Amino acid sequence: MTQAEIKLCSLLLQEHFGEIVEKIGVHLIRTGSQPLRVIAHDTGTSLDQVKKSLCVLIQHNLVTYQVHKRGMVEYEAQCSQVLRMLRYPRYIYTSKTLYNDTGELIVEELLLNGKMTMSAVVKKVADRLTETMEDGKTMDYAEVANTFVRLADTHFVQRCPLVPATEKSDTGSPPPAPILVINEKDMYLVPTLNLIGKGKRRRSFEEEAAGEPKAKRLKHTTDNKEPIPDDGIYWQANLDRFHQHFRDQTIVSAVANRMDQTSSEIVRTMLRMSEITTPSSAPFTQPLSSNEIFRSLPVGYNISKQVLDQYLTLLADDPLEFVGKSGDSGGGMYVINLHKALASLATATLESVVQERFGSRCARIFRLVLQKKHLEQKQVEDFAMIPAKEAKDMLYKMLSENFILLQEIPKTPDHAPSRTFYLYTVNILSAARMLLHRCYKSIANLIERRQFETKENKRLLEKSQRVEAIIASMQATGAEEEQLQEIEEMITAPERQQLETLKRNVNKLDASEIQVDETIFLLESYIESTMKRP
Amino acid sequence: MAGNKGRGRAAYTFNIEAVGFTRGEKLPDVVLKPPPVFPDTDYKPVPLKTGEGEDYMLALKQELRETMKRMPYYIETPEEKQDIERYSKNYMKIYKEEWVPDWRRLPREMMPRTKCRKAGPKSKKPTDATKVASLVNSADVLKKIEELEKKGDGEKSDEETEEKEGSKEKSKEGDEEEEDDAAEQEEYDEEEQEEENDYINSYFEDGDDFVADSDDNMDEATY
Repeated sequence: MTQAEIKLCSLLLQEHFGEIVEKIGVHLIRTGSQPLRVIAHDTGTSLDQVKKSLCVLIQHNLVTYQVHKRGMVEYEAQCSQVLRMLRYPRYIYTSKTLYNDTGELIVEELLLNGKMTMSAVVKKVADRLTETMEDGKTMDYAEVANTFVRLADTHFVQRCPLVPATEKSDTGSPPPAPILVINEKDMYLVPTLNLIGKGKRRRSFEEEAAGEPKAKRLKHTTDNKEPIPDDGIYWQANLDRFHQHFRDQTIVSAVANRMDQTSSEIVRTMLRMSEITTPSSAPFTQPLSSNEIFRSLPVGYNISKQVLDQYLTLLADDPLEFVGKSGDSGGGMYVINLHKALASLATATLESVVQERFGSRCARIFRLVLQKKHLEQKQVEDFAMIPAKEAKDMLYKMLSENFILLQEIPKTPDHAPSRTFYLYTVNILSAARMLLHRCYKSIANLIERRQFETKENKRLLEKSQRVEAIIASMQATGAEEEQLQEIEEMITAPERQQLETLKRNVNKLDASEIQVDETIFLLESYIESTMKRP
Repeated sequence: MAGNKGRGRAAYTFNIEAVGFTRGEKLPDVVLKPPPVFPDTDYKPVPLKTGEGEDYMLALKQELRETMKRMPYYIETPEEKQDIERYSKNYMKIYKEEWVPDWRRLPREMMPRTKCRKAGPKSKKPTDATKVASLVNSADVLKKIEELEKKGDGEKSDEETEEKEGSKEKSKEGDEEEEDDAAEQEEYDEEEQEEENDYINSYFEDGDDFVADSDDNMDEATY
């Protein structure tokens, strides 16, 4: 765990769960797994606060626990999970594009709450959707449940590890912590819930008492009394599946940029066909024959088998090797080389970073070294066709920034410089790691800047919120236009301008965070896929 | 190499021209300070991507951040008392819905105290509960003392008083949430000692059941 990552985790935890949780979480990240009392002692936090914080972190799958031999329970932070919080908007947006507003809200609720039972999710989402609808219209539970089932079928949500049911029977001495079991078979099995009836009853209730707090409280109590049909079966968002989806999207758009729309559509079809059959970490998809691909092409897509075959051959011949040919049976068997695709995308990212940071001539040198693997300084100057002095300058600049590495090969054992070859190389993996580290750092900087900006203008923000609240309440009571105007003028013109600037800055910083995270995602996937290869 | 030396320059072990300096050129000064925090960049950053998706994600992100603060998972630091009580603070208070974790999924040590805390500020219930608890505790202690007398085990008395203290503390805690911090520390020590005692008991008096039993009872009373 690098310092930059810890810093970022700390900022994220603080923003999502407050300072106390942040303290506990960061302590765990720094020290590894620890028992409860040690955490309380080392952080100087009261035991109560530590327990609460741990409950929160466990609820959000950010901390796991393990029972040790002497009955001690140790808690361990999952740093990578903490960093995933950066990507929450993207997960939610993706589920919106795939499964509309209902899917969006389901995933949002799951992410906000860490884990939930299906019945709770369905209820909450239906309520929220009903709120946004016009008067008289309501969302049916069954409809939400339906979307939930679809999300589970496509593995975007999955069950959390279960607490084994046998625990109650043995009365001897219950273990200090439940041992959670993952049942691979049931991971995506949705419990059969009879949610339709409930939805209807609830709806009529809501119509009777529109928005009255008393009725709401009443409703809550009735809810609590009902036995929960899927008690203990918790669901969480399957982030790996989302990542797989992001990866596929990136590959498809890369193909579209490189060749054309049709070829990207073919690749999309191939990826969709192997979505469920290929594990997300596999380097290749399952081989698909061209006949199969032809049958699975989207209905509206009018290309003949011949054209398809031509496209496939073209894709397989492409030097980037996104698509590979694995055999000749069934009209030619094709696979998508996922690892290669990620490597190409990571390399392209590196190249473009070099280009944007150091200019196109540096990028030329970088690509040259990348292509030729090992080059001596003299060769770099010659091949890049850049004056020797400038080329040296650029080379050293990239060397000092760790984009390029220097490899010494001594001719004699004494490493005398005059009898040593100095070869410049690019190690994509280490360069990607370095860049990833920088991305973490820049996001941490972005967050800190944003917090600074908001803190600086705290008074102003509070004022504008208050004024807005007053206006809203007055509008509700039916105030006159003049009165409203008067209140609106409580914020002076320069203040308004300042608010505008602040809003623009914060928006920009937030947008940058999201987009840097896209780079992080790509680099992380590349590193992960490279590390998994034997 | 030798040539460089002759010209009175610092002795390098390699040919300095290979690094890009012509003969006789002055070498750059030694840098003795860290690079600037905000260095000038030669190239300006490219503008951010914009589009419908990006805008939506931005809105989502900002909304999510606000929502997170209103969730019961956001634990706020206890505020220091301000000299002037602000009227506006009352309006800014956020009312969070209560969150009861599924205790079955959590280690046992998470449960009792947190629950106790949750119930603490609410009202009558805790006082009743603690009363009962203290009753049970004293009953327990009495029973224990009796049994100890029978046994005539001198060594035990130390532990007994300690536990008595413990039970008192625990009963206090229900009513007085504010004093928590001070009590917390004591509680912590006491519990640790209890654990130590457990260990010693099982070590020296293997097979002596009742001590272990009564310990269990004590624990349950606090729950």
